Amino acid sequence: MRNWRYIVYIVVISLAISFPFYAGVHPIHVATTILSLLALALSWDILLRGGQLSLGVSAFFGIGSYTTVLTHLNWEVSPLLSIVLGGLAAGVVALVIGLAVLRLRGLYFAIVTLALTFIFIVIVRNLTDLTGGAIGKLIPSVIFGGDPAMIYWLTLAIAVATIITSEIFQKTRIHFALTSIRNNEIAAKSSGIDIFKYLLFAFVVTAVIQGVVGGVHAQRFAFVSPEESFSLTFTILPLAMCLLGGSFSTLGSVIGAGGLGVLAEYLRLMMPRGHLAIYGLVMVMAILLMPKGIVGTIREQLVRRKTASS
Amino acid sequence: MSVLRIENLTRRFGGLVALSGVNLELRENEILGLIGPNGAGKTTLLNVISGIYLPNSGRIIFDGKDVTESPAHIRCRLGIGRTFQIIQPNQNLNVLENVMVGSLFGQGAGLKEARRKAQEICQFLGLSRIERDITRLTVLEIKKMEMAHALATQPKVLLLDEIMTGLNIDEAREVIELVRKIRDQGMTICVIEHMMRIIKELTDRVLVLDRGEVIAEGLYEEVSNDPRVISAYLGEEE
Repeated sequence: MRNWRYIVYIVVISLAISFPFYAGVHPIHVATTILSLLALALSWDILLRGGQLSLGVSAFFGIGSYTTVLTHLNWEVSPLLSIVLGGLAAGVVALVIGLAVLRLRGLYFAIVTLALTFIFIVIVRNLTDLTGGAIGKLIPSVIFGGDPAMIYWLTLAIAVATIITSEIFQKTRIHFALTSIRNNEIAAKSSGIDIFKYLLFAFVVTAVIQGVVGGVHAQRFAFVSPEESFSLTFTILPLAMCLLGGSFSTLGSVIGAGGLGVLAEYLRLMMPRGHLAIYGLVMVMAILLMPKGIVGTIREQLVRRKTASS
Repeated sequence: MSVLRIENLTRRFGGLVALSGVNLELRENEILGLIGPNGAGKTTLLNVISGIYLPNSGRIIFDGKDVTESPAHIRCRLGIGRTFQIIQPNQNLNVLENVMVGSLFGQGAGLKEARRKAQEICQFLGLSRIERDITRLTVLEIKKMEMAHALATQPKVLLLDEIMTGLNIDEAREVIELVRKIRDQGMTICVIEHMMRIIKELTDRVLVLDRGEVIAEGLYEEVSNDPRVISAYLGEEE
């Protein structure tokens, strides 16, 4: 059983790594987008495991994008280093903001993190000298000279790193802390859990991931602008992917991102105009029929079958 | 020797005075019963001791240290463990893992050590099949798990909030024995309980709260004959 699992891992990873060798340019682009959304979905889920529903993914994504482009342009750092700086900037901003907003809970936390996105849109739009204002900034050349395979591998590496981070969160004491906090905060603190510390840690780590993904996105398309870089798409799509696949697990976001990503692309090709309506319909149906997501529903069925047979 | 001393503690919720000038001393290795009619402030007192609420005034001295302003997780690590009246098991974890949370964070144990300690404690309390999902536990098992969870934080003082509620006589008897066994390990225990028979059987000393004030303190026999206690429970004669 255990060996099977490793064989599956190896097959999936080899297929993923060798993908650019047998796929065309368009599928590689689609896969790159799916992988970056996967990393965002998973990072969103990691914080959700501590009971905190953040709508601020776009904010950290945008901060990462802008930092990457601006450090690359103004300080002439290499594209890869600029992406790292994008992640760090998002992390630092999350640390400072987290100290304040992590005192909020539930809807209040969700709304305030949503507002962060709009605040940053206003900021970058008005710092015209630095950020290029409403027009944004262009980079003269795309990362790796625009080689889609290289960009794909970079994104794959980030997605895999996010998956590993997620598994570390699931296998260590952090898992016990976050799940206890989600269950009941009063009981959690009475067990000696420093709630604020763990939530802040998760908030910062996930923001770094979101910032890095934003940085790669900016380098890949070689530009930033307030509406594009802070687009709410980067909050809502990952959220939908995670919920569809199943929250509170690594596999859920992976399956959700893959499924929804492929479906979205397929629909877009089939009907360039009306695809979003179908997409929305699929999402509503999925959430109505499988409130625990694909992974959650399958797991529930397995448990039911196991208890029925024993 | 007192392990926990509370001096002149007051806690208000808006206009409601839930605790007013409460003094309390927990002596080393005793079992103190905390009784009083509904709304007397028993659970609030436990919440203030464990740091869920901070008091408006007064002091809490635990183990020679002033912990009045310490947050709940620090108090837990210092050695104040508790269970909840409305039980709060974590559905996402199995029985053993629920108990492990206590040793992981209450004592700062590593995963392996926490697992071993949790197993020991479950065995001590007679909790079996601990790799189980918690959704199918009996009331007694859930109560034991709550106690195990609190014990896993390695407390010096254990606060038990209505741990017997919902148990039948035999089960309650078993839990009484367990509480005694825990005390014999050197712990100091404070229990909130409604059933007088249990208070009589289990506790060394009783403290009676009514409308946020301590109205009597002493041995069960003394307290149960105190006219103020009787009127608090039965109401004044017209």
